[in-house]
Amino acid sequence: MRPEIVPLFWLAVTLVSYCLSRWIDARLHQWWTSPLLLTFGFCLTLALVLHASYHDYLSGTFWLGTLLGPATVAFALPIYEKREMIRRYWPTLAVGVVAGSTISIISSLLLAHWLGLAPDVRLSLVPRSITTPFAMAVSGGIGGIPGLTATCVILTGLCGGAVGELLLKWLPLRSSFSRGALFGMGAHGCGAAKAREVGVEEGSIAGLVMVLAGLANVAFAPVLAILLR
Amino acid sequence: MVHIRDFPTLGRIAMRRNRWVQIGLLIGLWWLSDTAVRYLEIPVPGAVIGLAALLVLLISGWAPAAWFRRGTKGLLDHMLLFFLPAAMALLDHRDLFGVAGLKVVLAVVVGTVLVMVGTALSVEACFRWSARRAS
Repeated sequence: MRPEIVPLFWLAVTLVSYCLSRWIDARLHQWWTSPLLLTFGFCLTLALVLHASYHDYLSGTFWLGTLLGPATVAFALPIYEKREMIRRYWPTLAVGVVAGSTISIISSLLLAHWLGLAPDVRLSLVPRSITTPFAMAVSGGIGGIPGLTATCVILTGLCGGAVGELLLKWLPLRSSFSRGALFGMGAHGCGAAKAREVGVEEGSIAGLVMVLAGLANVAFAPVLAILLR
Repeated sequence: MVHIRDFPTLGRIAMRRNRWVQIGLLIGLWWLSDTAVRYLEIPVPGAVIGLAALLVLLISGWAPAAWFRRGTKGLLDHMLLFFLPAAMALLDHRDLFGVAGLKVVLAVVVGTVLVMVGTALSVEACFRWSARRAS
């Protein structure tokens, strides 16, 4: 391939596979047709088959990553629109966020330690339960690799969507709050999408828990960085 | 015919209706906060400061929520596309395509189950406790 075409090629591959996977998902709507899995899987496979380097891939698509910043700013709107809910139920929401984040950080560290993963991979796993832009910010702050964290976040979302539904059947959950928190804390955006299928209230709680967990983790990241040193 | 005095209204309509104008606004807000953070050397990501700034603007009523609704939907609906380039960093970590990768998957699966069960049960306990106290 001529070198000047490489950036354009990878940008086209990314955009086309994204549009296609959204179309496939709208048609079939199975767990394996998640656009997350299809787009990521397709781009990764193609890059491996063509022996492309990450540098090649990034040359055409880096600006898409830049848009993660404005997307983070946009999270202000869902917080603002649910301010009444936050005011009324903040203790319950806080319990969910604190419990979930603590379990997530400790379980990631312990599991990675027992499995003997390399230190940078271990740290990249720590913020995997929160939504990607926040997770990458935390990862950079505590000495992980933001790119690996993004991969771990995707894995968490894929796994959480499937596991969450099973857990919902087994756990004795009477309130929509606990059902929503399960999805929002356990599987960020993917979980929030699943929770919207369970119910309107579950969906909005999951979305709120996801954003609040992201913010809480970013706020706690400097302390975490000191604790992990 | 478009008269000069209609322009403020046209501007307002564009702000309320057009997704691209609103996305531009969000990009501008992010750029401003990111530049400020770099200039002042604040140890918080610029985007998070931008989020806080937008929240203040909305709560104080300086900026109506309608100016951001479509732009927010546009950006958040396609967030997958924005973190895909970062996630492709896996290409630089070929060792994770082997046993180490399976270990990461195992850690993620077990960790996710723990987080979900722990979060749901603690929120449920909190809910039942407050329901019992109210009755």
